[in-house]
Amino acid sequence: MQASSIEGVAQARPKKNVLRVLLLPLVILAGMGLSVEAGLLGPLGVQVGHLWATLSIFGVGSAILYLLLLFSGPQKGPALSELPRWQLIGGFLGPIYVVVLTLATPHIGIAMTMIAILSGQVGKSVLIDHFGWFGSARKRVNGERWIALALIVVALVLIARG
Amino acid sequence: MNLILLLVVVVAAGAVLSVQAAINGRLGQAVGVLRGSLVTFSVGAIVTALMIFFFEPVQAVSLLDVPKWQLTGALFGVVYMMVMVGAVPVVGTAVATVAVIVGQLGMGMLIDNFGWLGNPAIELSSSRIVAMVCLALALVFMYRSNTRTD
Repeated sequence: MQASSIEGVAQARPKKNVLRVLLLPLVILAGMGLSVEAGLLGPLGVQVGHLWATLSIFGVGSAILYLLLLFSGPQKGPALSELPRWQLIGGFLGPIYVVVLTLATPHIGIAMTMIAILSGQVGKSVLIDHFGWFGSARKRVNGERWIALALIVVALVLIARG
Repeated sequence: MNLILLLVVVVAAGAVLSVQAAINGRLGQAVGVLRGSLVTFSVGAIVTALMIFFFEPVQAVSLLDVPKWQLTGALFGVVYMMVMVGAVPVVGTAVATVAVIVGQLGMGMLIDNFGWLGNPAIELSSSRIVAMVCLALALVFMYRSNTRTD
Protein backbone atom coordinates (compact mmCIF):
# COMPACT_ATOMS: atom_id res chain seq x y z
CA MET A 1 0.00 0.00 0.00
CA GLN A 2 2.71 2.47 0.97
CA ALA A 3 4.20 4.55 -1.76
CA SER A 4 7.58 6.15 -1.41
CA SER A 5 7.68 9.12 0.88
CA ILE A 6 10.00 11.94 -0.08
CA GLU A 7 10.10 13.52 3.32
CA GLY A 8 13.36 13.78 5.22
CA VAL A 9 15.29 12.97 2.10
CA ALA A 10 18.66 13.82 3.62
CA GLN A 11 18.43 11.80 6.83
CA ALA A 12 19.93 8.31 6.80
CA ARG A 13 23.59 8.24 5.83
CA PRO A 14 24.84 5.54 3.46
CA LYS A 15 27.21 2.84 4.73
CA LYS A 16 29.06 -0.06 3.03
CA ASN A 17 29.71 0.27 -0.69
CA VAL A 18 29.45 -3.30 -1.99
CA LEU A 19 26.21 -3.96 -0.16
CA ARG A 20 24.84 -0.69 -1.50
CA VAL A 21 25.36 -1.69 -5.12
CA LEU A 22 23.83 -5.12 -4.50
CA LEU A 23 20.80 -3.70 -2.74
CA LEU A 24 20.03 -0.99 -5.27
CA PRO A 25 18.42 -3.24 -7.94
CA LEU A 26 16.33 -4.75 -5.15
CA VAL A 27 15.06 -1.30 -4.14
CA ILE A 28 14.25 -0.47 -7.78
CA LEU A 29 12.36 -3.78 -8.03
CA ALA A 30 10.45 -2.88 -4.87
CA GLY A 31 9.48 0.43 -6.49
CA MET A 32 8.34 -1.44 -9.60
CA GLY A 33 6.20 -3.57 -7.29
CA LEU A 34 4.32 -0.45 -6.20
CA SER A 35 3.29 0.23 -9.79
CA VAL A 36 2.33 -3.42 -10.27
CA GLU A 37 0.15 -3.11 -7.17
CA ALA A 38 -1.52 0.01 -8.61
CA GLY A 39 -1.82 -1.75 -11.97
CA LEU A 40 -3.65 -4.66 -10.36
CA LEU A 41 -5.93 -2.36 -8.35
CA GLY A 42 -7.43 -0.34 -11.22
CA PRO A 43 -8.98 -3.18 -13.24
CA LEU A 44 -9.92 -5.01 -10.02
CA GLY A 45 -11.81 -1.92 -8.80
CA VAL A 46 -13.68 -1.65 -12.09
CA GLN A 47 -14.81 -5.29 -11.77
CA VAL A 48 -15.67 -5.73 -8.09
CA GLY A 49 -16.01 -2.10 -6.88
CA HIS A 50 -13.39 0.29 -5.51
CA LEU A 51 -13.99 -0.46 -1.84
CA TRP A 52 -13.82 -4.22 -2.35
CA ALA A 53 -10.55 -3.82 -4.25
CA THR A 54 -9.24 -1.72 -1.35
CA LEU A 55 -10.35 -4.37 1.14
CA SER A 56 -8.39 -6.99 -0.80
CA ILE A 57 -5.21 -4.95 -0.23
CA PHE A 58 -5.77 -4.31 3.47
CA GLY A 59 -7.29 -7.71 4.20
CA VAL A 60 -4.51 -9.74 2.56
CA GLY A 61 -1.86 -7.36 3.92
CA SER A 62 -3.20 -7.68 7.47
CA ALA A 63 -3.30 -11.45 7.23
CA ILE A 64 0.30 -11.70 5.96
CA LEU A 65 1.61 -9.25 8.55
CA TYR A 66 -0.22 -11.03 11.35
CA LEU A 67 1.39 -14.34 10.38
CA LEU A 68 4.83 -12.74 10.05
CA LEU A 69 4.43 -11.15 13.45
CA LEU A 70 3.22 -14.36 15.06
CA PHE A 71 6.22 -16.33 13.83
CA SER A 72 8.85 -13.68 14.43
CA GLY A 73 8.72 -14.09 18.20
CA PRO A 74 8.38 -11.52 20.98
CA GLN A 75 8.54 -7.87 19.90
CA LYS A 76 10.52 -5.11 21.53
CA GLY A 77 9.03 -1.78 22.53
CA PRO A 78 5.93 -0.67 24.41
CA ALA A 79 2.48 -2.24 24.05
CA LEU A 80 0.20 -0.61 21.49
CA SER A 81 -2.18 0.42 24.27
CA GLU A 82 0.57 2.56 25.82
CA LEU A 83 1.11 4.68 22.71
CA PRO A 84 -0.38 8.14 22.14
CA ARG A 85 -3.69 7.65 20.31
CA TRP A 86 -2.81 9.84 17.34
CA GLN A 87 -0.04 7.43 16.35
CA LEU A 88 -2.68 4.81 15.58
CA ILE A 89 -4.73 6.85 13.09
CA GLY A 90 -2.50 6.13 10.07
CA GLY A 91 -4.83 3.26 9.23
CA PHE A 92 -7.67 5.70 8.58
CA LEU A 93 -5.63 7.56 5.98
CA GLY A 94 -4.37 4.49 4.07
CA PRO A 95 -7.76 3.52 2.58
CA ILE A 96 -8.21 7.06 1.17
CA TYR A 97 -5.02 6.63 -0.82
CA VAL A 98 -5.85 3.14 -2.08
CA VAL A 99 -9.43 4.03 -3.09
CA VAL A 100 -8.10 7.02 -5.03
CA LEU A 101 -5.58 4.74 -6.78
CA THR A 102 -8.33 2.40 -7.97
CA LEU A 103 -10.40 5.40 -9.12
CA ALA A 104 -7.63 7.19 -10.98
CA THR A 105 -5.51 4.59 -12.78
CA PRO A 106 -8.18 3.55 -15.33
CA HIS A 107 -8.53 7.20 -16.39
CA ILE A 108 -5.03 8.66 -16.40
CA GLY A 109 -2.85 5.55 -16.33
CA ILE A 110 -0.43 4.32 -13.68
CA ALA A 111 2.62 6.48 -14.46
CA MET A 112 0.59 9.71 -14.42
CA THR A 113 -1.21 8.68 -11.22
CA MET A 114 2.16 8.14 -9.57
CA ILE A 115 3.39 11.56 -10.75
CA ALA A 116 0.27 13.23 -9.32
CA ILE A 117 0.74 11.37 -6.01
CA LEU A 118 4.39 12.43 -5.80
CA SER A 119 3.37 16.01 -6.63
CA GLY A 120 0.95 15.97 -3.72
CA GLN A 121 3.72 14.74 -1.41
CA VAL A 122 6.20 17.39 -2.52
CA GLY A 123 3.64 20.20 -2.54
CA LYS A 124 2.33 19.30 0.89
CA SER A 125 5.77 19.20 2.50
CA VAL A 126 6.68 22.60 1.00
CA LEU A 127 3.44 24.14 2.30
CA ILE A 128 3.86 22.63 5.77
CA ASP A 129 7.41 23.97 5.99
CA HIS A 130 6.47 27.38 4.61
CA PHE A 131 3.55 28.04 6.94
CA GLY A 132 4.85 25.99 9.86
CA TRP A 133 1.71 23.84 10.10
CA PHE A 134 1.42 20.96 12.61
CA GLY A 135 4.03 22.58 14.83
CA SER A 136 6.87 22.18 12.34
CA ALA A 137 9.64 24.79 12.21
CA ARG A 138 8.77 27.57 9.77
CA LYS A 139 11.04 27.40 6.75
CA ARG A 140 10.41 30.02 4.09
CA VAL A 141 10.06 28.81 0.51
CA ASN A 142 13.40 29.59 -1.14
CA GLY A 143 14.17 29.93 -4.85
CA GLU A 144 14.82 26.23 -5.37
CA ARG A 145 11.54 25.21 -3.79
CA TRP A 146 9.60 27.69 -5.93
CA ILE A 147 11.20 26.16 -9.02
CA ALA A 148 10.29 22.68 -7.76
CA LEU A 149 6.66 23.74 -7.21
CA ALA A 150 6.49 25.41 -10.64
CA LEU A 151 7.84 22.25 -12.30
CA ILE A 152 5.21 20.18 -10.53
CA VAL A 153 2.44 22.48 -11.74
CA VAL A 154 3.76 22.14 -15.30
CA ALA A 155 3.81 18.33 -14.93
CA LEU A 156 0.21 18.30 -13.68
CA VAL A 157 -0.97 20.58 -16.52
CA LEU A 158 0.69 18.20 -18.99
CA ILE A 159 -1.12 15.22 -17.43
CA ALA A 160 -4.46 17.06 -17.47
CA ARG A 161 -4.04 17.85 -21.16
CA GLY A 162 -3.22 14.19 -21.85
CA MET B 1 -15.28 11.82 -13.84
CA ASN B 2 -13.94 15.24 -14.76
CA LEU B 3 -10.21 14.85 -15.39
CA ILE B 4 -9.15 18.05 -13.57
CA LEU B 5 -11.23 17.13 -10.53
CA LEU B 6 -9.77 13.63 -10.57
CA LEU B 7 -6.26 15.09 -10.72
CA VAL B 8 -6.96 17.35 -7.74
CA VAL B 9 -8.21 14.32 -5.80
CA VAL B 10 -5.08 12.31 -6.65
CA VAL B 11 -2.74 15.16 -5.63
CA ALA B 12 -4.68 15.47 -2.36
CA ALA B 13 -4.28 11.71 -1.85
CA GLY B 14 -0.52 12.20 -2.22
CA ALA B 15 -0.63 14.82 0.53
CA VAL B 16 -2.67 12.47 2.73
CA LEU B 17 -0.20 9.68 2.01
CA SER B 18 2.75 11.73 3.23
CA VAL B 19 0.88 12.59 6.45
CA GLN B 20 0.22 8.87 6.87
CA ALA B 21 3.87 8.06 6.18
CA ALA B 22 4.95 10.53 8.86
CA ILE B 23 2.55 9.08 11.44
CA ASN B 24 3.53 5.50 10.57
CA GLY B 25 7.19 6.40 10.77
CA ARG B 26 6.76 7.46 14.37
CA LEU B 27 4.66 4.38 15.12
CA GLY B 28 7.22 2.06 13.53
CA GLN B 29 10.06 3.61 15.55
CA ALA B 30 8.14 3.02 18.76
CA VAL B 31 6.79 -0.52 18.33
CA GLY B 32 8.78 -1.97 15.39
CA VAL B 33 7.94 -2.11 11.70
CA LEU B 34 5.91 -5.34 11.81
CA ARG B 35 3.61 -4.27 14.62
CA GLY B 36 3.32 -0.74 13.22
CA SER B 37 2.35 -1.99 9.77
CA LEU B 38 -0.09 -4.52 11.19
CA VAL B 39 -1.88 -1.70 13.03
CA THR B 40 -2.06 0.36 9.84
CA PHE B 41 -3.24 -2.52 7.68
CA SER B 42 -5.77 -3.95 10.12
CA VAL B 43 -7.28 -0.54 10.92
CA GLY B 44 -7.39 0.07 7.17
CA ALA B 45 -9.16 -3.26 6.61
CA ILE B 46 -11.71 -2.56 9.36
CA VAL B 47 -12.46 0.97 8.11
CA THR B 48 -12.85 -0.31 4.55
CA ALA B 49 -15.12 -3.16 5.69
CA LEU B 50 -17.32 -0.71 7.59
CA MET B 51 -17.59 1.51 4.52
CA ILE B 52 -18.51 -1.50 2.38
CA PHE B 53 -21.28 -2.51 4.80
CA PHE B 54 -22.92 0.89 4.68
CA PHE B 55 -22.01 2.55 1.38
CA GLU B 56 -20.96 0.06 -1.27
CA PRO B 57 -23.60 -0.65 -3.94
CA VAL B 58 -24.22 -4.30 -4.84
CA GLN B 59 -21.64 -5.58 -7.33
CA ALA B 60 -22.26 -8.22 -9.97
CA VAL B 61 -18.75 -9.68 -9.53
CA SER B 62 -17.18 -10.48 -6.14
CA LEU B 63 -13.53 -10.76 -5.12
CA LEU B 64 -13.92 -14.55 -5.16
CA ASP B 65 -14.92 -14.55 -8.84
CA VAL B 66 -11.91 -12.76 -10.31
CA PRO B 67 -8.71 -14.59 -11.31
CA LYS B 68 -6.51 -15.13 -8.25
CA TRP B 69 -3.55 -13.18 -9.63
CA GLN B 70 -5.66 -10.03 -9.42
CA LEU B 71 -5.67 -10.39 -5.63
CA THR B 72 -1.89 -10.39 -5.22
CA GLY B 73 -1.49 -6.59 -4.97
CA ALA B 74 -0.94 -6.64 -1.21
CA LEU B 75 2.06 -8.96 -1.59
CA PHE B 76 3.93 -6.26 -3.51
CA GLY B 77 3.16 -3.74 -0.78
CA VAL B 78 4.46 -6.02 1.97
CA VAL B 79 7.61 -6.95 0.00
CA TYR B 80 8.22 -3.23 -0.68
CA MET B 81 7.97 -2.48 3.02
CA MET B 82 10.42 -5.21 4.01
CA VAL B 83 12.94 -4.29 1.30
CA MET B 84 12.86 -0.66 2.43
CA VAL B 85 13.35 -1.60 6.08
CA GLY B 86 16.45 -3.56 5.15
CA ALA B 87 17.84 -1.24 2.47
CA VAL B 88 17.30 2.32 3.73
CA PRO B 89 19.89 2.11 6.55
CA VAL B 90 22.47 0.79 4.05
CA VAL B 91 21.92 2.88 0.93
CA GLY B 92 20.57 6.02 2.63
CA THR B 93 17.13 7.60 2.39
CA ALA B 94 17.93 9.82 -0.60
CA VAL B 95 19.25 7.03 -2.83
CA ALA B 96 16.48 4.66 -1.75
CA THR B 97 13.83 7.29 -2.55
CA VAL B 98 15.25 7.95 -6.01
CA ALA B 99 15.55 4.21 -6.72
CA VAL B 100 11.93 3.60 -5.69
CA ILE B 101 10.64 6.46 -7.84
CA VAL B 102 12.69 5.26 -10.83
CA GLY B 103 11.23 1.77 -10.45
CA GLN B 104 7.74 3.11 -9.85
CA LEU B 105 7.60 5.41 -12.87
CA GLY B 106 9.53 3.05 -15.17
CA MET B 107 7.19 0.16 -14.40
CA GLY B 108 4.18 2.49 -14.55
CA MET B 109 5.17 3.54 -18.07
CA LEU B 110 5.65 -0.08 -19.14
CA ILE B 111 2.26 -1.18 -17.79
CA ASP B 112 0.56 1.84 -19.39
CA ASN B 113 2.31 1.47 -22.73
CA PHE B 114 1.60 -2.24 -23.15
CA GLY B 115 -1.68 -2.37 -21.25
CA TRP B 116 -0.41 -5.09 -18.93
CA LEU B 117 -2.51 -6.59 -16.08
CA GLY B 118 -5.77 -5.71 -17.85
CA ASN B 119 -5.13 -1.96 -17.93
CA PRO B 120 -6.06 0.18 -20.92
CA ALA B 121 -2.98 0.73 -23.11
CA ILE B 122 -1.86 4.37 -23.12
CA GLU B 123 0.82 5.27 -25.62
CA LEU B 124 3.93 7.02 -24.29
CA SER B 125 3.33 10.53 -25.68
CA SER B 126 5.82 13.40 -25.65
CA SER B 127 3.75 15.30 -23.06
CA ARG B 128 3.93 12.29 -20.71
CA ILE B 129 7.71 12.18 -21.09
CA VAL B 130 7.99 15.93 -20.43
CA ALA B 131 5.76 15.54 -17.35
CA MET B 132 8.14 12.90 -16.01
CA VAL B 133 11.20 15.06 -16.69
CA CYS B 134 9.51 17.94 -14.83
CA LEU B 135 8.88 15.73 -11.80
CA ALA B 136 12.47 14.46 -11.86
CA LEU B 137 13.80 18.04 -11.94
CA ALA B 138 11.40 19.06 -9.17
CA LEU B 139 12.76 16.26 -6.98
CA VAL B 140 16.33 17.38 -7.70
CA PHE B 141 15.52 20.95 -6.64
CA MET B 142 13.70 19.72 -3.52
CA TYR B 143 16.67 17.59 -2.56
CA ARG B 144 19.16 20.43 -3.06
CA SER B 145 16.97 22.75 -1.04
CA ASN B 146 16.68 20.17 1.79
CA THR B 147 20.39 19.43 2.03
CA ARG B 148 21.29 23.12 2.12
CA THR B 149 18.86 24.28 4.81
CA ASP B 150 19.14 21.23 7.08
